Amino acid sequence: MRGVIPAPSIKIRASEHLRCYPAKAKDMVKIDLPKEPVKNWREVMLKKMAEVLDKYRSVRLFMDICVKCGACADKCQFFLGTGDPKNMPVARADLFRKVYKRYFTLGGRVFGKSNEAEELNESVLRDWMTYFYQCSECRRCSIFCPYGIDTAEITMAAREIMAAAGIATKYVTEVVAKVYDTGNNLGIGPEAWKYNCQFLEEDVKDVDGVEIKFPVDEIGADVLLVPPSADNFANTNTFVGYAKMFHAAGISWTTSTYCNEGGNFGLFLNYTNLKKINNRILEAARQLRVKKIYWGE
Amino acid sequence: MRALFFVFLPYLCTGIFLLGIGVKLSIWLRTPVPLRIVTTPAPKTTLGVIWRFLGDLFWFPSLFKSDKLLWGAGLLFHLALWIVLLRHLRYFVYPMPAWVEGIQTLGLYAGYVIPFPVAFLLARRLLQNPLLYVSILGDYFALFLLLTITVSGILQQLFFRSYVIDVKDTILGLIHFQPRVPTVHWLFILHLISVLVLLTYFPFSKLLHAGGLLLSPTRYQKANFEKRLINPWDYPVAYSPENLSTPEKYAQALKETEKGEGK
Repeated sequence: MRGVIPAPSIKIRASEHLRCYPAKAKDMVKIDLPKEPVKNWREVMLKKMAEVLDKYRSVRLFMDICVKCGACADKCQFFLGTGDPKNMPVARADLFRKVYKRYFTLGGRVFGKSNEAEELNESVLRDWMTYFYQCSECRRCSIFCPYGIDTAEITMAAREIMAAAGIATKYVTEVVAKVYDTGNNLGIGPEAWKYNCQFLEEDVKDVDGVEIKFPVDEIGADVLLVPPSADNFANTNTFVGYAKMFHAAGISWTTSTYCNEGGNFGLFLNYTNLKKINNRILEAARQLRVKKIYWGE
Repeated sequence: MRALFFVFLPYLCTGIFLLGIGVKLSIWLRTPVPLRIVTTPAPKTTLGVIWRFLGDLFWFPSLFKSDKLLWGAGLLFHLALWIVLLRHLRYFVYPMPAWVEGIQTLGLYAGYVIPFPVAFLLARRLLQNPLLYVSILGDYFALFLLLTITVSGILQQLFFRSYVIDVKDTILGLIHFQPRVPTVHWLFILHLISVLVLLTYFPFSKLLHAGGLLLSPTRYQKANFEKRLINPWDYPVAYSPENLSTPEKYAQALKETEKGEGK
């Protein structure tokens, strides 16, 4: 697309009402998080925040060096779409920064509000829950920032901190829990996956007159294909494309019903789940004793 | 009273500046970088990273992409500031190298330029709604300090000259720990005090962007994805409820699923 999208005029709290549904206890339990918001959420969150600041140089550095030049402001699609000033990447990071300043910097402790420092109170938490879930972690802002400040890192840190206190959204936690149940985000069970593959085999035979296999759980194949699960029943053209490509190249391949998801929603929640879900790819590769993994989303 | 300005404060503020920067640097450097988060398009080699930093330091390509006016003002300010700082070496080193003498005229003109981009940056903050929204007191304070420093400097150069031998004598005295208390124009005291305030403010503020840029993982990392990046604090996670990492176990689990509801 060419041309310029004009920056919208600021509409204070324009997208404040757009909140996600809270996570359900049954999903939270499955993904090793407190099943509901904990009573001492402030202490838990501050403890987690200290941990995150010690683990990620990106977060700590980005908190310290932002000069608020505003170069990122009109680069975020959420700001362009809503006009809510808290959706400007710099303002989104400021939600984190004011808590960081209050509890982790001398300037914030001494000068308080005049140095934008603020207590972690309920209204700040409400803003966190609202605006850190109005970021898609696309990292577009980081390309325009003169210091490469990546708001996705800050968003991920904030979500990790909230999750530790049992505060998360239904959408993300439900999808992550589903991966542990069925191996993919959409909840396609092993049987359904197999039937879909058989259906596609017949489809290809009808349309192209060629017998192409869509192997499932074949032990000893050369390649394990980990596609986005939607390819199995919604975007089937891409799935058929993989099969035809493997067929033409003469490569033996398989999909796994244990891990058939190229996307990882752990990224939108916390490090532990991100790693667990990623590890399923390795586990599947060992189960099926493949030589290579083709993985994409 | 004058001893306060010319002896006590210079040592105190410079001390805070150096200590503050040291502490910040050590915190940043000891905080690990667990993941590769380099921004695209990213260099693949160390030479490429150096080239990228040269751009980031002296050309501001990211700002060029995002906001041409801001880029122009920012570049003008920073380049002029560098030249002015280098010109000021004439007050700090003895004997003075020839090249410092050589940039004297250029340095003076660079000094006259600085207030304009600074005033623009200030006006921008006050007139653009999104910026007004995110600006905090510290943003105005830094610009105000820079204006005070440059304007007091220019006024001394053009109208109210301090006796330069006295100035250099004072500074060299401080450097060699033999402080002296000169008699100079009050504008020089203002100039000195605002510089000292800036030095003190530096380690606690956004002015840290100066060195922070070089440690920013999105800028210094390489796109060498074939090389594994080890996360120093990585921990083992408890995987699936029943670990299915052998084919036999998995086949068994599959059979049970088929017998059951089939999901």
